[in-house]
Amino acid sequence: MEITITGVNAITYPSLHIWNWTVSVYLFCGGLAAGLLIMSAIANLRAGPANPEDRVDTVRAALLAPFVLMFGMFFIWLDLERHFNTYWFFLSFEPAAPMSWGGWGLGLGLPLSLAYALSNVSQEHRQWLRFDFLKELAAWLNPYLKPLAKIVFALGIFIGIYTGVLLSVLVARPLWNTPVLPIHCLVSALATGAAVIILIATRGSTQLFFTKINLWLITTDLILMVFDFLGHLTSGASHRESILPFFTYTSQYFVFGVAFVLIALLFPLALVSMLLCVKEGNKGELSGATRFRMKLSAVMVLAAAFIIRLAWVYAGQLTKLS
Amino acid sequence: MPRYVMVIDQRNCIGCYACVAACKTENDVPLEHFRTRVVETVQGEFPNLRMELRSELCNHCDNPPCVSNCPTGASYKSKDGTVQINRNRCVGCKACIAACPYDARYIYPGQGFADKCTLCIHRIKQGKEPACVATCIGASRVFGDLDDPQSKVSQLLSEANSSVLLPEAGTRPRVFYIRKQSKPD
Amino acid sequence: MKVTRREFMKTLGLAAGVGVGANWLLPAALASGENLQPGEVYAATNCEMCFWGCGAIAKVVDGKVVKLDGNPLHPGSRGKLCARGNSGMGTTYDPDRIKTPLIRTGNRGDGKYKKASWDEALNYVAEKMLAIKRTYGPEAVCLFHHGPCARHFLPLLAAFGSPNFAEPAFAQCRGARDIAFQLTFGANPGGNERLDLANSKVVVLFGSHLGENMHNSQVQDFASAIAKRAKFIVVDPRFSTAAGKAKYWLPIKPGTDMALMLTWANIFIKEGLYDQAYIDRYAEGFGELAAAVAKYTPEWAAKETDLPAGLIVETAREIGRYRPNVLIHPGRHSSWHGNDVQRSRCLAILAALTGSWGREGGIYLRTKASLEMAQGREDYPVPEKKPLIELSPYPLASKAGLTIGVTTLLRQATLTGKPYPIKGWIVMGTNLLRALPNEKETMAAINNLDLLVTPDVLPFETAMVSDVILPSATYLEKFDDISVVKDSCLFVTMSQAAVKPMYESKDGYFMARELAKRLGLADYFPWETVADKIKAQCELWKIDYEELSQKGYLEFKNTATPYITPDNEPVFKTPSKKIELYCKTLADHGFDPVPQYVAIEQPQDGYFRLLYGRSPVHTFSRTTNNALLTNLFKENEVWINAKKAKALGVKSGDQVILTNQDGVKSTKVKVKATQRIREDCVYMVHGFGSSSKELHNAYGKGADDQHLITRYAIDPICGSTGMRVNFVKIEKEV
Repeated sequence: MEITITGVNAITYPSLHIWNWTVSVYLFCGGLAAGLLIMSAIANLRAGPANPEDRVDTVRAALLAPFVLMFGMFFIWLDLERHFNTYWFFLSFEPAAPMSWGGWGLGLGLPLSLAYALSNVSQEHRQWLRFDFLKELAAWLNPYLKPLAKIVFALGIFIGIYTGVLLSVLVARPLWNTPVLPIHCLVSALATGAAVIILIATRGSTQLFFTKINLWLITTDLILMVFDFLGHLTSGASHRESILPFFTYTSQYFVFGVAFVLIALLFPLALVSMLLCVKEGNKGELSGATRFRMKLSAVMVLAAAFIIRLAWVYAGQLTKLS
Repeated sequence: MPRYVMVIDQRNCIGCYACVAACKTENDVPLEHFRTRVVETVQGEFPNLRMELRSELCNHCDNPPCVSNCPTGASYKSKDGTVQINRNRCVGCKACIAACPYDARYIYPGQGFADKCTLCIHRIKQGKEPACVATCIGASRVFGDLDDPQSKVSQLLSEANSSVLLPEAGTRPRVFYIRKQSKPD
Repeated sequence: MKVTRREFMKTLGLAAGVGVGANWLLPAALASGENLQPGEVYAATNCEMCFWGCGAIAKVVDGKVVKLDGNPLHPGSRGKLCARGNSGMGTTYDPDRIKTPLIRTGNRGDGKYKKASWDEALNYVAEKMLAIKRTYGPEAVCLFHHGPCARHFLPLLAAFGSPNFAEPAFAQCRGARDIAFQLTFGANPGGNERLDLANSKVVVLFGSHLGENMHNSQVQDFASAIAKRAKFIVVDPRFSTAAGKAKYWLPIKPGTDMALMLTWANIFIKEGLYDQAYIDRYAEGFGELAAAVAKYTPEWAAKETDLPAGLIVETAREIGRYRPNVLIHPGRHSSWHGNDVQRSRCLAILAALTGSWGREGGIYLRTKASLEMAQGREDYPVPEKKPLIELSPYPLASKAGLTIGVTTLLRQATLTGKPYPIKGWIVMGTNLLRALPNEKETMAAINNLDLLVTPDVLPFETAMVSDVILPSATYLEKFDDISVVKDSCLFVTMSQAAVKPMYESKDGYFMARELAKRLGLADYFPWETVADKIKAQCELWKIDYEELSQKGYLEFKNTATPYITPDNEPVFKTPSKKIELYCKTLADHGFDPVPQYVAIEQPQDGYFRLLYGRSPVHTFSRTTNNALLTNLFKENEVWINAKKAKALGVKSGDQVILTNQDGVKSTKVKVKATQRIREDCVYMVHGFGSSSKELHNAYGKGADDQHLITRYAIDPICGSTGMRVNFVKIEKEV
């Protein structure tokens, strides 16, 4: 078949290219922030007496979350073509548009996550806060820690799912247009959150705990990915074509093939490594080497999660409904 | 309210691109950007070949994904049934471009807002046909009111089999295509 | 440039107040409900993006043309314009335009010019012309022209005393066809062919790629024939857009068209498919024709043309079945292989056999009405020397009132100085280096000149080797002669400025008149401006100037007599007053009186015949710098049969270089590997690969087919140059 088109726009032909790595960074950071919020909220809400020492690491997660979120939001703002029109996000609400939900969700979520972060700062650590008003605010918010934790838990779930819904509603782009994607994004968000906590945790027990959690999350992640591909493969022609970039090692798609191989290597590798760490950890005292391996597997999880988002943002723009 | 539609009788399209040129000057479309295009497809092997010519534009869908995905209400379905863009409201998030299965949109260079075919609504309001229709050498593009049974579009659609592009997208387009004769010659 | 509304109205020549110039049009012309916005004016004029002469309406806002529409009153456009017509302002507002008169300071071809005032430039040209006249005689100055603007130089040339002028439209285009039809029917099919396509039941196209070859009303009729389910038989080595609409596509071996035509004639006669009553009544030489074509059997033709014999018979019967409502398209560009008059004669004979000349769906008859053309002084001096065309071996080239000249004869005389020298060229409206075959020869001729003056809009190749370049106004900026068109009816159309000329550009009348003044021939240009001339013409023809100016088009009522009826018997202006199937004139000059098939050379292994054609969005090279149009079609590609491309190891998008049989190489050009062309030829759209660095959009885009056309086959009957006789091989660019 020979096709000649007169009057094409470079932005959509030969393939869509409206979004680039900045969007991937946004999706990754949004997910990560969601994961951090959820993990920290769970820690705060878990039954039983709060052990101050036990909480130290999750406090760090809560403190980190708003900054990760801000970082991500900065990148999506960069991607907008009309930066000075951003306020229009908040002058209307479009219930059918995920981005409108996202605008409002993140717009409200950012101050909430900041409030939650402050509420986490215990009295003995408030001295580290730079400004007096922050100290006062933290003191004022501290009693609301639990209700705030409940709210940010919901917020985290919302953001985690949102980063997927954003793409999954686009009927025109088959790779994205699947209900698996939002769930996949949420699970992946939780995994990255756990991975970062492993990296920033001071205590081996925390790392072990989150490594255990991550074992389950990564397994779920892999299963979801298989189902995602299976869904496309058994769906219409354009869905089937949409996953081709990952399996066709032509010059045009080579980079996607590499991304797929990396994902297919990093996740199982991380999984096995984590499994070994957990096995060792269950025996008793954690060695420095084991803790290093847990951190290494966490890095692998983060790398794979970012590669997935990069690959999906670009590959999704390559194929279209036809 | 009339129901404006366009019927593209592909049988008569002779691939002259007058529509593309007229659209550009009528709407001052920036260079290297297009609101309408012509797709020429040739199938088969020498000497058994078949050609299809199909002009494409914004489908002014009744279920427009560009509108439902617009976070600010900049893209909207107008009362007259056409899909329009309020340039001031547009933040340039490009969700509409990603959402459109017909690749009908582009970002206006230098200004950043999303832009596309307006069905020449400014001309329609003056009682004129869209520029691409008015200049269509093959009389392949036909514009009119589908609610008026006497209109050329109603008659064309009642005479011949028609289809829309990508019906599986569920967008319910207002641009209809006639590819083949539905009655024997 | 800012023009106020009032000033603008003045340039339109409309003294009256607000809106007079516009109101008439709008209800009818641009559909109903038009409301004039402030600063908005409409002007009716003739489009000159190609030479079809469509009526156009320019919408002017704040002194700038912003939109062009077809004039709904005008039969050439019927309210519609093609892509080029829609993009006319792209040429007017092209930043690369020639802005002032320029006089060459460097060597020819190195592009060094000094800006000059009009006075300076015209004085220079006049002095040179007079010097040539003194040394060589007035006939040593000649004119190459195309289009309405350049026609003003014809009276100048005649007054100067030179009988030598030519349009490439003859020898490089439709000359052979016109001569052939003239010899057969005593009339040619018309510059705007009088085709009753809209009523045809069967349409036969030999190489005519309607749709890609975009002539507004003809293509509108083509589309309406498609809409009416006319059956198309398209004979073309390439699967053109028209072939895509056809019931039968006959991918003929290039150069063998006559075999098919003569065989069809034979089948018509053998199977009684021809219109016997019509032939009996109007034609002469049927017996000779029947005898001459009897040997052309379908089986023979199949071998010759590479088409199945069954298909040849089937298509012949299809044509016969629907006669006389059959259109055998006479073609347009007919200078193919050097046997072009004879091939076109075959088409004329097929048209006669099907009885379609003067019949519904065929070629309709030209109106018998005419206008007295007298204008200005007519007492031109009698040239001392005969025109080159009469001294040439092509006696039939000037036959039957077709006096548009043979360009290549003028070039030949310039090159050789025989039969007498040519030392001055005025070139307007044609880019000779791209229009004539064998660029080297043209350049060598130019190097023999004492004066080459080129009025042009843009610095095309020919302008850039000229001694003097004069900035021409585009059609949107100038008034021009009233066009008198004899189609089925008689009508006149108006060319008028929509806006003031950009820069220092001027119209052709101004240039011719100012030169005439300097040559002491001012009497021949009695009107100060061309607008005055139009007014005088209107008075002569009793036309209301205001009405013509406002409508752009006026038809003389009851002048249309398109079909043969008992009251409208056709007149054939041939020696026998009949359709001449057997042409005695040709016999007298030693040519075949009935066309006979002669095989032409086919390419050797590894070589392809170079075919060229057109894109619907370009007119030769003259639109290739128009940004609005290059937006639609930037550069040409070389079409190669997909199988051949694979064998050569090239794929679509690869850059290749073409080398012709004489070792001349093209610039880099992209491949289009396609099923749509035969294996023995390649195809390119003509007009690309500009070598003028001053054309920032066009320079170096694609490749120039004309550059590869170093060989040409001169038709012995009319002197036209067959240009599809070049062979190229393809080399991948590494």
